[in-house]
Amino acid sequence: MPGEQNGLEERDEQLRMGGDVRLVVPASPEYLRLVRLTAAGMASRLGFTFDEVEDLRIAVDELCFHLLGDAGDDRPADDRTMDLIYSAGTDFISITGRTGLSGEVPEPSELSEQILDALVDEHEVSGTDGMVTFRLKKQRES
Amino acid sequence: MSFEATDRNELRSKLEEYARTGNKDLRDEIVRSQVGLAEYLARRFKNRGEPIEDLIQVALLGLLKAVERFDPSRGLEFSTFATPTIVGELKRHFRDKGWAVRVPRRVQELHLRMGTVVNNLSQELGRSPTIPEIAQRAEVSVDEVLEAMEAGRAYRFSSIDAPAADDDDRAQSPAAAQLGEDDTGLEEVEQRMLLSPLIASLPKREQMIIHLRFFRGMTQSEIASRLGISQMHVSRLLARSLVQLRDRAGAEAAPG
Repeated sequence: MPGEQNGLEERDEQLRMGGDVRLVVPASPEYLRLVRLTAAGMASRLGFTFDEVEDLRIAVDELCFHLLGDAGDDRPADDRTMDLIYSAGTDFISITGRTGLSGEVPEPSELSEQILDALVDEHEVSGTDGMVTFRLKKQRES
Repeated sequence: MSFEATDRNELRSKLEEYARTGNKDLRDEIVRSQVGLAEYLARRFKNRGEPIEDLIQVALLGLLKAVERFDPSRGLEFSTFATPTIVGELKRHFRDKGWAVRVPRRVQELHLRMGTVVNNLSQELGRSPTIPEIAQRAEVSVDEVLEAMEAGRAYRFSSIDAPAADDDDRAQSPAAAQLGEDDTGLEEVEQRMLLSPLIASLPKREQMIIHLRFFRGMTQSEIASRLGISQMHVSRLLARSLVQLRDRAGAEAAPG
């Protein structure tokens, strides 16, 4: 019963056809578990190995945590959300996401960059005041 | 009343002696004498979905830190100083988990069992197994395997992952200094990052794992066999280290 008339129908249709997954969660570190699990679920369906799924989970966590940043703590986030689309290729998974931002786009640390470089094939963060988007892509080796 | 006063004085003189000598036996003795405080504070956090034994362990860690940091010359009562340290440790424990859901026992058990399953399969297949392969061998669903992988994050303080035995010899020399011969000639960037206080503050084994995974590009399974531990263990240590690094980076950015 796809009853909702919120202008997302066309996009949802695309999602269904391509086997993509869209996930919208409150922009709070508490929800990263769901974000990681969704990534792991899709990767495992694509035949990623345990090693690769682990890498993907860590990368997603690293990137998203970085963007949600220190808003964390026990403080409940405001009504900001993080909107992610997980796309499956034949031998890769790519995740794009966006979230609102109260300040400037946080600069990833050198270590964070190093970590992401080692875990995924592509990653980038861009944005302006108010909105940040990110993308990462991981290829299956075998 | 006077009995308590005697106790307090005795504690104070022990703390003074510890501050002077750094005698580990004395430190442990002080910690033992204050276990009651740690347990009392840990109980205040029960009913939040964490086993009380784990909370007590966390509180004891806080107590240990308090003993190590206490400065008798400032004239504070030890309990006044230790309470916020212990409570801080407990709060951090909840925060680090990022999700307040209690891990069901069956998931915990599967997580532990997967250590063996993943190792065996990796050896048989000569590569890292896929998730369905793990599920089939463990006779559970793919979703259960994924959930069990997540559970590794909640294991930071449980007995199987008790603060590593090598915590004691932490950071005498950075991991970079103890890699084998094939690992000489670190690049400059690599060296700078590995020698940064942030990473050097981790226990040696974790430094090594961070280095091998993120700087040397070894896979988790390769690291597991190199260090002679299970891959699930590597996975847990990696997750834990990254959380610690974030914590410390955050603490450095915003002191107080």
